[in-house]
Amino acid sequence: MSGKWEKLGLLLEDRDFTSTVSWADSFTQAPNAIVLEDRVRIYFTSRHRHDPDGNFVSRGAYVDFASLTKGDIMGFSEEPILELGSLGNFDEFGTYPISVAQSSNGKYVAYYGGWTRCESVPFDVSIGKATSEDGKIFVKSHRGPVLSSTPNEPFVITSPKIRVLSGKWVLSYTAGERWLLSDGRAEIIYKLRIAFSDNGDDWTRLDRQIVEDKIGPDEAQASPDIIFRNGKYHMFFCYRASTDFRRNPERSYRIGYAYSENLIDWIRDDEKYALERSSQGWDSEMVAYPNVFCYEGALFMLYLGNEVGKCGFGLARLDGDLY
Amino acid sequence: MWRNRGNVFDLEMDPVRKLGLSFAQGPQALVMKDRTRVYFSTRRPDSNGKPISFIKFAEFSPDFTELLNVSQAEVVSNGGLGAFDEHGIFPLNVIPVEDEIRGYSSGWSRRISVDVTMGIGILSSRDDGLSFQRIGSGPAISASPDEPFLIGDPFVLLQDGKFHLWYIYGTDWTRDSGGTPERTYRIGHRESDNGMNWEDKGKSHDLIAPLSPHEAQAMPTVLVSDGKGYLVFCYRETFDFRNGGARSYRLGIAASDDLVSWTRLPQFAEWQGDGWDSQMMCYPNIHVRGDTVFLLYNGNDFGKHGFGLAEIPLGDFVRHYSSGGSPHRRATSNANSIFKTKQF
Repeated sequence: MSGKWEKLGLLLEDRDFTSTVSWADSFTQAPNAIVLEDRVRIYFTSRHRHDPDGNFVSRGAYVDFASLTKGDIMGFSEEPILELGSLGNFDEFGTYPISVAQSSNGKYVAYYGGWTRCESVPFDVSIGKATSEDGKIFVKSHRGPVLSSTPNEPFVITSPKIRVLSGKWVLSYTAGERWLLSDGRAEIIYKLRIAFSDNGDDWTRLDRQIVEDKIGPDEAQASPDIIFRNGKYHMFFCYRASTDFRRNPERSYRIGYAYSENLIDWIRDDEKYALERSSQGWDSEMVAYPNVFCYEGALFMLYLGNEVGKCGFGLARLDGDLY
Repeated sequence: MWRNRGNVFDLEMDPVRKLGLSFAQGPQALVMKDRTRVYFSTRRPDSNGKPISFIKFAEFSPDFTELLNVSQAEVVSNGGLGAFDEHGIFPLNVIPVEDEIRGYSSGWSRRISVDVTMGIGILSSRDDGLSFQRIGSGPAISASPDEPFLIGDPFVLLQDGKFHLWYIYGTDWTRDSGGTPERTYRIGHRESDNGMNWEDKGKSHDLIAPLSPHEAQAMPTVLVSDGKGYLVFCYRETFDFRNGGARSYRLGIAASDDLVSWTRLPQFAEWQGDGWDSQMMCYPNIHVRGDTVFLLYNGNDFGKHGFGLAEIPLGDFVRHYSSGGSPHRRATSNANSIFKTKQF
């Protein structure tokens, strides 16, 4: 059995948000939903021009939907939900993406990619942790990252997705494997990884790539989003070529899929629940950064389109189920 | 008492001068049967003209009266694009482990808003320390929740079957009155059963009690004798420390009965500098051969002129520092009169 994603179009357009809050200039990226009693809260990030160099800095935000219908919005976060790190810290130049889960005591726990800028390559990323009582404003747990570089995960530790599965904290993420120089530009090749924890602070990494490459060793993989359904773990993620991927539909982000019985051994099967790019419109060049969740008995996917969320984020509903 | 041997690896002396080395920083001793090999960091400009530190070694007779050899080749290759050690290694700590020589590197990588960050890498040599290969391209110890940046200056000791690592971690980047970010760091400690997989978190903060809130501590080196530990390090103020005086690097010492909690002693025997180390003393490294304690260190300009040596009988060292130290005496330097070199 399989299922088919039915596209429902843009759920939030970029300008719906950026025209509402003063600090955000463009982009609504990396959506992550949590279903609350009376609303669906979708965390995402947006960008504002931060420094005299004109470099963008990504900051966290959320939108509350009363139902999963375009425009049925209860409100936005007015201020960024998480502070930037101070001088020299790992998250001085951005917090992107941000993934949130609720712990058993009702607290909200966020894991986020913290960005710093480097000289020979454009950036490095490590994963930080923050908590919140109300899910609206988050306070960092520590100054430093909870997941940073290791011998086999040498840089760019990012794209966190936090889940509580079978009573354990599970963090799926990506880790840089190598930087590739292409026309004088350094491009990062990163792969999907996973780590486990009893308390959310001390993590044991599996320490290897969890989903095989499909388009060769230079495949970049991100946004490993896991959902437990019908006795299996299902993972949606995105992948692309490492060069010439920004506007070239043949080389840009596509959605991949893998499943597992134990969170460790994953079988890749992209065609099983394929969500393809459209022939025209906001998601005609790429489909990226999936987040899959269950709402009122149905399965939904939030995802990004062209230029990784420049226009907003879209919604799809699964016709069928995940088996 | 301490006997000051002076600038034993003076970059201006013959025949070292002909090598044209710029800096010999962070000397780290490997005690071998017939010689003592001292690894150090020296510099070359990269394609942007900025300095990259890389590792060479000099070999001395066991009593340091003869310079036997200086390595021609670099012992570690460059770090790759974007790697934690892309912009150099300083220092490389070395320790024999079974049939290999293990290396612990402090890898440097440049940043935009601040100069740099560091991480600690592990390397292995199967040719008696002539060349080292990285174990993984990333750092074994990098930023963590309470030690957010600038993880470096490793010193590893194998004691009673357990590996101990002393190192530094950054506590603050603070702008000076001119707006330039300056770093403050302190000494940390972790343990390991195999020297490869280390505790995730440092054991305690402010392991060595600082004398002022803006004290930066660096380059720990530890000697254990009769179950008691002695940790020698260097310290300076965070601002205005480059040109000598009380704000520049000096040597400090602390003692411990369990290698975990340390009592800082009031005074390390600071001999009077005689030129090359008159403005600062920094980057100490201790080793013991026979009954003698040898202390390698850098002087003025953070090692621009080479490294020097002081020695003391082990018995004197233990008596002196286990009783809490005492006022220092001036020692005279007679290094140059007995020092000779082979041609290499």
